[in-house]
Amino acid sequence: MTVLTPAIGWVGTLLGLAGSFVLSVFGFRAQRRPSAVRRSQLRFAVWCMVGGAVLAMAALEVALLTDNFAMSYVAETHSRATPLFFTVTSAWSALGGSIVLWALVLAGYTAAVMRQVGSTDDRLGTGALAVLGVVSVFFFGLVSTVANPFKILPNPPADGPGPNPILADHVMVAFHPPLLYLGFVGFTVPFAFAISALLLRKGGVEWLRRTRRANLVAWSFLTAGLVLGAWWSYEVLGWGGYWAWDPVENAALIPWLVATAFIHSAVVQVKRGMLQAWNFVLVIATFALTILGTFLTRSGVVASVHSFTESGVGPAFLGFLILVLAGGLTLFALRGDRVASPARPESLASREGVFLVNNLLLTLFAFVVLSGTLYPIIVEALTGNQVSVGRPFFDRMSVPLSFALLLAMGVGPFTPYRHASVAVLWARLRVPSLLGSAAAAALVVPGGISSAGVVIVAGIAVAVVTASVRQLIVTAPKPRRKGVPRVLRGQRAYWGGQLAHIGVAVVAVVIAVSGVLATRATVTVDRGESVEFAGYTLTFEHSEEHTQPDRSTRDAHIVFRSDGQVAWVAEPRLNSFNNQTQAVGQPSVWSGPSRDIYVALVQLGDDQVSLNLYRYPLMVWMWVGGGLIAAGGFWALSGRTRRATANNTPEPVMADA
Amino acid sequence: MLAIVALVGLAVGGLLAAGPGTPDRAYELEQRLRCPVCKSVSIAESPAETAEAMRAVVADQVAAGRGDQEIIDYFRARYGDWVLLDPPASGSTLALWMLPVAAVVVGGVALALLRRRPDAVDEVTSQDRIRVRRAVDQVRSRGADGDMP
Repeated sequence: MTVLTPAIGWVGTLLGLAGSFVLSVFGFRAQRRPSAVRRSQLRFAVWCMVGGAVLAMAALEVALLTDNFAMSYVAETHSRATPLFFTVTSAWSALGGSIVLWALVLAGYTAAVMRQVGSTDDRLGTGALAVLGVVSVFFFGLVSTVANPFKILPNPPADGPGPNPILADHVMVAFHPPLLYLGFVGFTVPFAFAISALLLRKGGVEWLRRTRRANLVAWSFLTAGLVLGAWWSYEVLGWGGYWAWDPVENAALIPWLVATAFIHSAVVQVKRGMLQAWNFVLVIATFALTILGTFLTRSGVVASVHSFTESGVGPAFLGFLILVLAGGLTLFALRGDRVASPARPESLASREGVFLVNNLLLTLFAFVVLSGTLYPIIVEALTGNQVSVGRPFFDRMSVPLSFALLLAMGVGPFTPYRHASVAVLWARLRVPSLLGSAAAAALVVPGGISSAGVVIVAGIAVAVVTASVRQLIVTAPKPRRKGVPRVLRGQRAYWGGQLAHIGVAVVAVVIAVSGVLATRATVTVDRGESVEFAGYTLTFEHSEEHTQPDRSTRDAHIVFRSDGQVAWVAEPRLNSFNNQTQAVGQPSVWSGPSRDIYVALVQLGDDQVSLNLYRYPLMVWMWVGGGLIAAGGFWALSGRTRRATANNTPEPVMADA
Repeated sequence: MLAIVALVGLAVGGLLAAGPGTPDRAYELEQRLRCPVCKSVSIAESPAETAEAMRAVVADQVAAGRGDQEIIDYFRARYGDWVLLDPPASGSTLALWMLPVAAVVVGGVALALLRRRPDAVDEVTSQDRIRVRRAVDQVRSRGADGDMP
């Protein structure tokens, strides 16, 4: 019985591997000679992949839930004391399981592409399926070799060490990794179609139209994953921040930046037939960066909070990365000229001109973050010296780029295509600029805020939001009460984009405000004594021990009083897990619409506690804004897809909205 | 227009009048020093004991009136370049600062070259004109049949 579950996992993995192999061979053959392969053959291969991945994932979960310590993955990441919820989530909290999840998600995306491919005459589609097959061969190959979670142990231990403490402590572990994977893996689909189009020497907008949905799905999930990751880090890690410019955080941010650039430049190609070659570069880069990100996370090449595992998987990812880059870029170099679009923007003062500026800024941003992330690794590899690149570098680089991006975001969506006259721009941006500058002035003079950054960001954000609202009201047919919802539902791509822009504006304001206007203090309090912080009186009342099967917890009860009334009790704690010698602190956060109070333990004795206290204004709105960005992506893709037409002409520019 | 200029002027004036706030020198220095026992956070953010001890050293040295660079060099001598989260624009981290500049220059040159490349001849042939006219006629006749809304 104990051998049966890993054996089923093995069967699933090999089935998936075989399916992906067949899919890649038959897919490429179908692309060359459509009549040589039947659609049902491709479909069968895809079914094998999906079935195999489901079987492997199910075997993993069953093994974890039945405490099957004869299986290597269970013996390494599970313990009998692990609560049920974290037992389920430990299926992806270590290397082997996360690659199984990756393969499962990839099989799901492949099945979605298969549904699009009506017959083998669709050569773009069969080629894309073949590329998806090749990528799946790599991931199923990892599961069956270096990252194999199904190894059968001859002498199974009676109990295991349990999951990494940080991954067994918060519900977010059930959401952040799967969302990030849905995002990361989703970018394989545009990559597959791009490579297929290059193989066919076929430019045009068809591959863009057909991957728009997958790309937006991936982007929205990655956005949600990033925001949840920041939130998780804020709630759990206890250093008082949400973004440390940690290499692994950067590894997820860089593909997001490039994918964001691609979403915008894809619009330019579809609407105006420009930037075609550039789109190929962006798509290949996005996919390569997701592989690079996984390499950084999973190989242990950078010391970081996310490098929980070190294994032989590093060289495999590096090899695959080189293959993707070399293959993709060689193909692009050979075929790029054929697919380059002849048209170029007539004037920078046009929607496509601003899109171009946006793309340059986003790719420069991605490049800066990438170089800062890889630099210490490269220096150490070349010279053996250890150097650090941290927040001061990234902040100094990202702040001006972000300001420029915010400005482009404020102007771009309201600039007409082809050529924008000053009069039109002025008409559209007059009221927003007025309100934006009024908001800036109001913050300075009655508000008394002396930080230029906060004032400028807030001014631009107000202008961005008003410009969107104004555009909505002006373009909606009368009566507005019916017209506005109709426009929002009708032009989902545009208004989803605007929703995401509003989210970005909100996030930018919160980043500025929470960074500059935060209050912090380190205090040491004896039991029964009080200190003042942010208008509250804090009293250290007592500390308690709790014992749970997998950990013992010591918390401090810090009572916040306002005018003598108890307002909140903070219970920051130290978790001592059975499988780890060092205790892990967990902060206590009190969120409100206007501010967060954040209490983290520095030291906890019987009669004395040292605390780091933070007050972050508006912090909650960071997550709301992040949610708006992701929601904008989902709104944009929820619309009906336009019927794909197999010609190369860009669609006419419709109403200039 | 005037109102916008006035409001922006008011904001700028207010900001200038307020002047820069008194900076917390110790905190700024702490943010530039990496916590030796943590994962990519500065000693300002870390709750670790080592970081606490280093913060105390920074506070002492600031109180003793030592300059920013002196304090940074003090830690650099003890922990190596690794301790600097803000890589100096010299030595082995100079190239890092040059990279973005190089990217901008290369990108700018590439763009300029692309823009100068002559446009492909994109003349409308008489055949194209006929095709367009046919298509337009088709659409019109369909419209007359009532197919079009």
